[in-house]
Amino acid sequence: MTTIMGSGIRFLIMDDDMMKMLPKEMDSKLTWDAIQDEFGSTEIIFIAFGSKGKTIYSSQALETLWSLSEQLNGLSTVDDVSNISTATRIDVIDGFMEINDLQPSKNLTDKEVEKIKKYLNKNLNLKKQFISQKEEYFLTIIQPYDIIGLDEFRNDVVSIGDSVLSGYEIHYGGTAYVTGSVPQLIREDIQSLIKVGLLIMVSILLFNLRSFPAVGMVMMVIVLSLVSMMGFMGWAYRLTGSDKFLFALLNTSMPIILLTIANSDGVHVMTKFFREMRIHNNIHDAISSSMHALLIPIFLTSITTIAAFLTMISSPLEPLFGYGISISVGIASAWLLSSILLPAIISLKKWDQYSKAIAEPSIFEKLIDRIGFIVIQHPKYVFAAGILLVLFGLTGLSKIKVDVNVASFFKPGTEIRDSMDFMDKEMSGTLDLRVRVEGHIKDPVLLQKMDSLQTFIEGHEEILVTYSIADMVKQMHRSVMDDSLKYESIPEEQEKINNLFTMYSMSGNPDDFSTMVTYDYSSGLITALSSVISTEAVFSFVNSTKRYIDKHFDNSNKVDVTGMIVVIRDMVILIIQSSVFSIFISLILIGLITSLFFKRVLWGLLAILPLTGAIILNFGLMGHFNLSLNHITAILSSIIIGVGVDFAIHFISQFRNLSRSINPTQLSSDVIQDVGYPIILDAASNMGFGALLFSAFIPVQYIGGLMVFAMISTSLGTLTLLSSLTELLKNRLVEKGE
Amino acid sequence: MKVLIILFFPIILIAQTGKEIALMIDKKRAPKDLTNKSRMILTNSKGKARTNTMVSKSINKNKKQIIWFLEPKDDRGVSFLKIEYDDRDDEMRMWLPGFKKVRRISAKKKGDSFMGSDLSFEDLSNRELNYNNYNRLEDQIVGGKDCYVLETIPKMEAKSSYSKHISFIDKKTVNLLKENSFDKRRKLKKEKEFQYITLDDYQILKRVFVKDIPSQHTTEVIFSDIMIDQGIDGKLFHEKNLKRIPRQ
Repeated sequence: MTTIMGSGIRFLIMDDDMMKMLPKEMDSKLTWDAIQDEFGSTEIIFIAFGSKGKTIYSSQALETLWSLSEQLNGLSTVDDVSNISTATRIDVIDGFMEINDLQPSKNLTDKEVEKIKKYLNKNLNLKKQFISQKEEYFLTIIQPYDIIGLDEFRNDVVSIGDSVLSGYEIHYGGTAYVTGSVPQLIREDIQSLIKVGLLIMVSILLFNLRSFPAVGMVMMVIVLSLVSMMGFMGWAYRLTGSDKFLFALLNTSMPIILLTIANSDGVHVMTKFFREMRIHNNIHDAISSSMHALLIPIFLTSITTIAAFLTMISSPLEPLFGYGISISVGIASAWLLSSILLPAIISLKKWDQYSKAIAEPSIFEKLIDRIGFIVIQHPKYVFAAGILLVLFGLTGLSKIKVDVNVASFFKPGTEIRDSMDFMDKEMSGTLDLRVRVEGHIKDPVLLQKMDSLQTFIEGHEEILVTYSIADMVKQMHRSVMDDSLKYESIPEEQEKINNLFTMYSMSGNPDDFSTMVTYDYSSGLITALSSVISTEAVFSFVNSTKRYIDKHFDNSNKVDVTGMIVVIRDMVILIIQSSVFSIFISLILIGLITSLFFKRVLWGLLAILPLTGAIILNFGLMGHFNLSLNHITAILSSIIIGVGVDFAIHFISQFRNLSRSINPTQLSSDVIQDVGYPIILDAASNMGFGALLFSAFIPVQYIGGLMVFAMISTSLGTLTLLSSLTELLKNRLVEKGE
Repeated sequence: MKVLIILFFPIILIAQTGKEIALMIDKKRAPKDLTNKSRMILTNSKGKARTNTMVSKSINKNKKQIIWFLEPKDDRGVSFLKIEYDDRDDEMRMWLPGFKKVRRISAKKKGDSFMGSDLSFEDLSNRELNYNNYNRLEDQIVGGKDCYVLETIPKMEAKSSYSKHISFIDKKTVNLLKENSFDKRRKLKKEKEFQYITLDDYQILKRVFVKDIPSQHTTEVIFSDIMIDQGIDGKLFHEKNLKRIPRQ
């Protein structure tokens, strides 16, 4: 079965285009789409090249710039290239106006280079866009066709940039570059760290189980369920052709989650078998007794976890639909493998009942005895301590910050972060924010308002440059008026503005203004380039700009603020909303299923108690320790639910089992001894994913850190909160138990 | 052998070389002056259109031309004067009524677009016979008309923005019916179509359609109210005449 399912892996498609996962009906996405449609793609890549300490104004550098533009323009993914070599100049010569190429040819004389330099020094806004502050680097802005995946665009541009600009210091930037680079980089990073995590997991399992075959069998369950899940995803994509089953960046956490769940199933079976072997001295009886105790909890944990993950299908983000379905298949596979295949394989091996692995308790087993003792002795204190911790977590929830700025994904010192810092420091920044203005763009009043809005936007510390058609009108006006600086303004009469555009069209390129104004002059675009700013600063920028717009623009002009970071911010809010919804529905479903299965609402409430505590504590700690929430860390709740529910159900199931045969005074202690060990071993081995702490990506580090904490909180939540509560309520629970 | 030579001789005699076809086009009869009204419709790849209406007067196969804008309302009164020179850069001046100023427009780059259209100044200029190499390709039927197919390869001195043109010329009228122009990378850049009317034995353009292949932008120019050989005085082509729209 696994082979058939796994054969679908060959149809699995990795898709790194983040834009595909955005819900189409989101407001900022709609504005963003309108901008892409009217002005071409705004998701640009910046390339800066030059040499530190050396002036960039040289014929050689301009020749390279010319070649770069030529080669980039030849790419099928590139729509437009803007730099000194493609820009136009408007000069007034002998009282007459001339529009010409700023760089007239590939090979220039020193005099021609000097002429370019002089022109830029006169037109500082243009210079700011294309030349570094110390005149050491040239900047090129590359715009893709809007139907192209950003990863493909990024790869094309980088390949040309690297080959043409060899010998120069090169820096890449822009949301398209970072967004195009990040998924692949994160995936590679996670893949290598998962291997380290697996190694740690195997080591911890070996250290405690002290048996290579036992660890091999647990790993077999993990690997085969992973193969089933990935294969299913491949088949689903092959058979439905739906983008929902593409393996996107969000899906990167799927293998980690399934690993922890499958590990839990395998570890419970293996440890239970060893314990039973000590009692029965017979493999068949030990397996029979183990499976008798575990078949129901493993089935129940699987079905509740599946129910929790299936809530993802209501998510507005397309990949989360495929995520929920595929991981559910993986969990079902892990259930079948650990309930059928694993006991079968165990029974095939001749186990030595006198081996250390079976005869002697491991370190974790001894540890669990100690925990059990404390809980039994001081259940009220343990419960109160647990509640206090949860309350502490609750106070942190309000402090959670959302940060989706991909720049903050990278640690300072990494190549990509250094490039971004360079662009902020030396150039005009690479984070682009857009304001779309609807109305008759040739109207001087509207142009004046756009100009004033630009001045307002430039008043924000982080905004380094803005440009729009209003700048072009001002420049043309000045040129027509004999290059007099006092005419660098918006003319008051519309006729003059009309004349300026008509005059420009006589020798300018029809596409020169296409990124600033629509063909029929019905809407214009203001572009603001900013240094890297936090999502909070984006919120503040958008809100203050909106307030300014409300005050200064009337209803006849529709004005919208957008940009990729605004769209991603809204997307993350959606992810968080859907995660919160998913958490609530999952908890309700888990409570319902457990109540129905154990025929008592109290068991359902007890099952979700440690889970709720762990979720509150984890997200609360994120708030307390200033760990930001983004589309990667938001997935954490799934890990907590997936693993946490397993622990709680195993505990409850064993409590009910043992309550039928064991004295109530001894009950909690025995339950903790019985399920505590696999819980601790499972949690400890999953902590191998703490290896993610060594990632180059900050959110992946957070996942690593939080994963460790999630394991501690869910396992201790079960072994302290749940066990102390069951100890406190044992008379009631045992009395009413059937 | 002799028979064969005799049989084929008449065919060799009437077969035109590429250069000869180009010469035929160059020598085609043209009116001394031309007046017309033109409607230029520019359409971008998304189907959005802009329309201009202009009055034009020209002499000397358009070497001297003056254009007054009538529509859109925004551009009414704007006018444009072009004078082509063989030995120096062409002269182009524009009257901006809003500013009450005449401004000169750069004509250094032949590939520049004319008024935001898909026609460049090079497309509107007459092709200098000696600045190009010509090859005759296999004849083809275009729109039911038997056509010469001429390959024109601009020489360096032409300073062309194209690498070559493939032109389809009606054998009967020597009218250029269709032309495909290729950019410096030898990729198809423009497709052009031409339609004519006959006026006093002259073949006069009545419609031009140009499609820019990479941008999918199109330009359609429809000529109407065409008048020829009206005796237009060369003095008309002076900047002082830009300021007033003629009554035609």
